[in-house]
Amino acid sequence: MRILVVEDDSETAGYLTGGLEEEGHAVSWSRAGRDGLFLAMTENFDLLIIDRMLPELDGLTLVKTLRAARIETPILFLTTMSGIDDRVTGLNAGGDDYLVKPFAFSELVARVRALSRRPRGTTIDTQFRVADLELDVVKHVVKRAGQEIQLQPREYRLLEYLMRHAGQVVTRTMLLDNVWIYHFDPRTNLVKSHLSRLRTKIDKGFTPELIHTVRGAGYCLRAPE
Amino acid sequence: MRQNKLFHSSSFRLAVFYAAMLTASVLILFGVTYWFARDYAARDENNEIDVEYASILDEVGSDGIAKLPAIIDSHMRLRKDVKGVYLLQDPQGHKITGNIPAMAPILGPTTLERPIDRQTLQIRAHGYRLQNGDYLLVGQDTATLRQMNELILRTFAVEIVITLILAGLGTAIVGMTVLKRVDTVNRTARAIMAGDLSQRVPVRGTQDEFDELAAGMNAMLDRIEDLMRSMRQVSNDIAHDLRTPLTRLRQRLEHAKRHDHTAAELQEVLAHSIRQVDSILETFGALLRIAQIEAGGRVSGKRMIDISILLASIVDDFSPAAEDRGLKLDSDVGKGLQVSADPELLTQMVANLVDNAIRYCPPGSKISVKANQVGDSLELAVCDTGPGIPPQEREKVLRPFYRLESSRTTEGSGLGLSLVAAIAKRHEARLSLGDNDPGLKVSVLFPMAA
Repeated sequence: MRILVVEDDSETAGYLTGGLEEEGHAVSWSRAGRDGLFLAMTENFDLLIIDRMLPELDGLTLVKTLRAARIETPILFLTTMSGIDDRVTGLNAGGDDYLVKPFAFSELVARVRALSRRPRGTTIDTQFRVADLELDVVKHVVKRAGQEIQLQPREYRLLEYLMRHAGQVVTRTMLLDNVWIYHFDPRTNLVKSHLSRLRTKIDKGFTPELIHTVRGAGYCLRAPE
Repeated sequence: MRQNKLFHSSSFRLAVFYAAMLTASVLILFGVTYWFARDYAARDENNEIDVEYASILDEVGSDGIAKLPAIIDSHMRLRKDVKGVYLLQDPQGHKITGNIPAMAPILGPTTLERPIDRQTLQIRAHGYRLQNGDYLLVGQDTATLRQMNELILRTFAVEIVITLILAGLGTAIVGMTVLKRVDTVNRTARAIMAGDLSQRVPVRGTQDEFDELAAGMNAMLDRIEDLMRSMRQVSNDIAHDLRTPLTRLRQRLEHAKRHDHTAAELQEVLAHSIRQVDSILETFGALLRIAQIEAGGRVSGKRMIDISILLASIVDDFSPAAEDRGLKLDSDVGKGLQVSADPELLTQMVANLVDNAIRYCPPGSKISVKANQVGDSLELAVCDTGPGIPPQEREKVLRPFYRLESSRTTEGSGLGLSLVAAIAKRHEARLSLGDNDPGLKVSVLFPMAA
């Protein structure tokens, strides 16, 4: 993937570009908002990672300008501001996701992947299938090996999110953000408890196991190779 | 300096203004009185002349016109005291009788100056042409009027002097007393600026505006001092609370550097260090969040929300985790309860309280989330049957970083309840910690009509 990082702090930028290159991406870096805007307008990137606070032209204005110019490249905002308003304004301006500094690199990688697979445009899948596990969004039905499984509302949403991101690692904070809509991290590990219940219903008595724990990163729903 | 200040003070200017107004009103009062008195006296004099003339004509009517000079002479003698003036001339202008020299006849009312008894007098008189062609002038010295004028003017002069003296004194007294009290306020302000926050404006107990001002300022100063103290306390606590884990981190890293370790061991040290740094960052994050909430400004998120739905969803979210720890989490919430709040902040508040209950309750305990209407407030409570908090500690646990002795070993930043307190305050809700017999009951009282 071609990724553009717009970040004024060279140390953070180095950490980002180095890490993303290790992951196999081609990374460009610009230090200032104006240069970043120029690059994003003139070259083709698959993803833009933009810091909210930039010299000359701030990240928010940059993204608004890009979106006004009908450039629909997915955008991940980086920020030190964790306020609700900051997140909302960022997303309203046209950002696709939001990551608060400091963050774990695995979190960034997971979000970059999720963004790269996010369907461009408006096609909405209503049926998902991983191995013999099926989920029908319209009928609100989950089946494993043709057998219907009853899920609690939260378990259903959790599974839907995992199915939509099948094959990808999803982090705990991604799940909290998108399934629970908690933009804070409760000390009680909600995700773990709900996931273990979901696992019992989806995986127990069936082979192979579909929900996997990725140590130090998160969870992944995938069929065996 | 002091004198200068007196003249520049607004109280002095106000007093001077009032003194000027007082003087002006005395002047106007006098002017009006003087004018009316004069008018009245003049009319009275004219009247007297008319009466005198009528009485002369009356006598002429009974005694005949030939007796006129004698009548006038007798009147002249009778009215010598009040300085009556008479002049009778024949048509040729020769004086027949009278006490002033002959003159060119003037008809109607007039004012003259004529010598009488070796002194020149101002005379008010009336000239008449008699039927036989004679000219008769009847008049009167204006001395009474003049004397009255003089008296009025003299009274006024004394009055105005007294008024000015009193006004001046009043101005000085008002100016000085007000200035003195303002000065005390200023002195207090200067002392506080110099760094002594314990200074207060003295209250006299007279319950006047100055007392009210002083009481208001003192209340404000109490609040500021309170804030300063808690801020100092918080920064001390931050410094202390962050030093401990940072010191531990440093020791760990130093130890790793000094000794030879296998790559796997180093990995372990690094992973542990990252966890430690994360927990420090988390503390900072919580502090920032509290500061953000306390700073306010974001009322935009406030709207009417169905708290019953919100609480049910939180209980659903936390129940599996509670069950995993051998706890029972349930809710006792009336249907359709509405409250004006920021849903995200409210969720975080309840989540924090449930978090705490899950963390501190031993297995087998029961946690319940309750909400119901109490009068015109909405009471939201998270109750548990855990160890509770001793009454004397309940106030303190709301302070940032304060932790109970018994919970020191439990992982946590000591900021959870501070965050709850900040959110409650933001919603003008009252947070209180009470006894659940056994256990803890944390209740938040929201005003409904907001």
